[in-house]
Amino acid sequence: MKTKLLAILLSVAFVVSGCQAAARQAEGTYTTGTSAGDAETLNWLIAADSASFSYAGQTLDSLASYDNDFKVHVRHAAKPIEVSPDGLVYTITIRDYLKWSDGTSVTAEDYVYTLKNLMFSDWLNYTYQSDWQEEVDGKSVFVEPKVVNATTFTITRKTVEPEFMDNALMGLTPYPKNIAQKYEGNVKAFTEAEEFNKLTYTGNLGPFKFEEWVRNDKFVVSRNPDFYLSREDKGTPFFQKYVIKLFGTPAARMAALEAGDITSSAVDPPQVAKFMKLPELNVYTTPTSGYEFLAFNMRSNGWEGLRQKEVRQAISMAISKETIVKDILLGFGEPAFSFLPKVSPWYTEEGVTKYGVGPLYNKEKSREMLVKAGYGTKKADGSFQVTGKDGKPLKLVLTTNVGNETREKMAALIKQELTDMGIEVDLKLVPFATLLGNYLRNKEPGTDQEPGFNNGPRAVSQESWDLLVLGFSTNPIAPSGQEVFFTTKGGLNAFGYFNEKMDQLFRRVKSKEALDPKARKAMYQEISAIIADEQPVDFLTFPRGIGGISKRVTGIVPGINMGWNFHTWYFQ
Amino acid sequence: MRNYIIKRLAYTLVIAWGVLTVTFVLLRLGPGSPADKYLANIAARGGNVAEVIANIEARYGLNKPLYEQYWDYLVNLVRGDWGWSTSTSMPVMELLARHWIYSAQLILLSFLLASFFGIAIGIYSAVKQHTRTDYLATFLSFVGISIPNFWLGIMLILVFGVKLGWFKTYYDTGLPIFSLANLEALVLPVFTLSTGMMAGYTRYARSSTLDNLRLDFVTAARAKGVPERTVILKHVFRNAMLPIITIILFDLGAIVFGGAYLTEIVFGIPGLGRISFNAIFADDYPVVVAVTLIGAFLVLVTNLVTDIIYTYLDPRIRYV
Repeated sequence: MKTKLLAILLSVAFVVSGCQAAARQAEGTYTTGTSAGDAETLNWLIAADSASFSYAGQTLDSLASYDNDFKVHVRHAAKPIEVSPDGLVYTITIRDYLKWSDGTSVTAEDYVYTLKNLMFSDWLNYTYQSDWQEEVDGKSVFVEPKVVNATTFTITRKTVEPEFMDNALMGLTPYPKNIAQKYEGNVKAFTEAEEFNKLTYTGNLGPFKFEEWVRNDKFVVSRNPDFYLSREDKGTPFFQKYVIKLFGTPAARMAALEAGDITSSAVDPPQVAKFMKLPELNVYTTPTSGYEFLAFNMRSNGWEGLRQKEVRQAISMAISKETIVKDILLGFGEPAFSFLPKVSPWYTEEGVTKYGVGPLYNKEKSREMLVKAGYGTKKADGSFQVTGKDGKPLKLVLTTNVGNETREKMAALIKQELTDMGIEVDLKLVPFATLLGNYLRNKEPGTDQEPGFNNGPRAVSQESWDLLVLGFSTNPIAPSGQEVFFTTKGGLNAFGYFNEKMDQLFRRVKSKEALDPKARKAMYQEISAIIADEQPVDFLTFPRGIGGISKRVTGIVPGINMGWNFHTWYFQ
Repeated sequence: MRNYIIKRLAYTLVIAWGVLTVTFVLLRLGPGSPADKYLANIAARGGNVAEVIANIEARYGLNKPLYEQYWDYLVNLVRGDWGWSTSTSMPVMELLARHWIYSAQLILLSFLLASFFGIAIGIYSAVKQHTRTDYLATFLSFVGISIPNFWLGIMLILVFGVKLGWFKTYYDTGLPIFSLANLEALVLPVFTLSTGMMAGYTRYARSSTLDNLRLDFVTAARAKGVPERTVILKHVFRNAMLPIITIILFDLGAIVFGGAYLTEIVFGIPGLGRISFNAIFADDYPVVVAVTLIGAFLVLVTNLVTDIIYTYLDPRIRYV
């Protein structure tokens, strides 16, 4: 009887799920346009560019991912990753129905092999190796992965890192051990391996299967009918094909979107009004975690005034962030005061000084501060004149990378603001590679150091500069990675900002103490307050992301991680 | 003639080898490295930049002495192995074999269109000198020369792709090469690329025809009662062609690596122009050397073809 009842229930369940699937048939080709450049490889372990990870990611999920509210959704993981009370041991259990293309099961052994024999190896030089390293007794050592059983493995750390799961672990994807072993130790063979370069091994691990990649033209994947999540998401994904189409120019890309030749694309701010009127398109504006800033060169080949906090504050006070948002981003952005975007759970305004807006955008006050710091004189009429210490006009070099229209406009506006202050600004637009190589990489003069982005306090760049407009990105849920810019030993602290208190705070964020979210929030509050006061850089804006998507596409949840549920989108 | 061609082919090989050597050495001496793209990521994570550069360069064999790299490259080249493209992750030979056709069809069709109409309009304009037709042709050719390919391409897309919807806004590599649909997809790119060329050829053809129309042999032919059509097509045309052929064939080399690149960019055509420019910015040495070599070879062969065509157009020319 029980068996009969179960059979009936199962039949009803199948009919219901069949009806749902029938109501939402997989159909059509979703084409997204980009002009950001092609990927370099699908063999993602040797990749260094985000496009490569994005392409491969269509066929391979990771252990878990975030939605727009930073809620964790398990993917390859069967359940949320468990962390031991002492914060040192992470236990990961994967779904038991993950398969490689040859039909064999994905096992914990594949994950541990990928970590130990590939990612941690000397011969492969995995670019993100240091995400899996920790400092123990002054030495960098790797975390310790270990197989527990076919579907469970652990990762053991010797030190606590509260953001390890967000920064590294959740994004973990395995390579198939049985294939990778053939190439182990031979970097050339591994680099050129057909299985990895054509993603032939991906089985049911992602929503799509690799179909074609025409370099500099398009990347095509087709629906994976065996997709592991299709069980719970009832037949996902619902697009027969997904195409990333590359365009040589933003103008050509947006023309294709306007003509309806592609399904979605980013939209530039000046085009938003036009695209919003198109009946076939929805335009979404979403927060982003990327920020634009004005860097101050505090090294010895920059203007010595920039080594004083008051001078940096004065410069920041002379540049209107609201004008940048209004006139350059056309309203699609927000003023920035630290590296934390408003959507970050760690964001706080407590104690944060807001230079460049409201009463703290004040050129007269800025002049007064510069004069007080020794750069200028007070005139008979009570006004202030900014000059160098020698009384001659103050001249500064401002640079940014050519080709980034937004940054070029920001640099031009900053030049204008500083010119109004009586400062002569020499604006240099240089190629991005030159900016990195000649302006940001530095070395100690007279040594044979390999130029790096922070070769210590005495290192200087090849070209002298004072101000520089650039953009960085924050992980809103795990922002401790920003230490690379703002700590003494930070790998990308090219500006020469050294503050013991800041170093200490970032160390605390990466300690056991920070396992308590309240404590961690307090630490980020202190970091935000110090950074807003010290102004190691003038945080300018967080531009918003703008995208146009065909109205036929349904299931979109706009937000900072838009696309986290892409496999459930469908054509209406 | 045969000896001449053999001799020229031998020169071509020597010059191509010279170009290859210079390109190879200059690239290696330049400041860039395929490792550069990894540096920011590595530095951000506190990695050792010098160590990473050494490791990445070892991955691509760039840690060997220059002469050894050069010798390896030459030996592999002779064996048909043109190396591995670091920016596209595929063998260079396969990359070029896959993409040359996109450039070739665009350039060939543009070249034929521009040559045929450019020369025809130029001659007609010269014959009808100082008439409305001549003025119109002159005006249009100046317009054609002045309009940048890049701008024209975008305008054509906006008008014929977006507003009128007659053509797709980008080139679709999924279409079979020998199909009407592909021909249709090439209409806007070919028109874009050929406009400037056509305008230039019109001016050259007009000028060269006018020069010939004033010569004694033309006056003599007319005096003998030869029909005007025959005078133009048989006597003037053949002589006027000599300088034009030189210009057109020289132009071909410039188009492959110049004008065609911009057209490929605008219409999203993944031809050799885009491949090579991307390779230059990505420090993808094997692709840059291979494309330079092919370019040099093309120019040299084109020169040889020009010289051979001369002998047919001008019976006075003989090579020994």
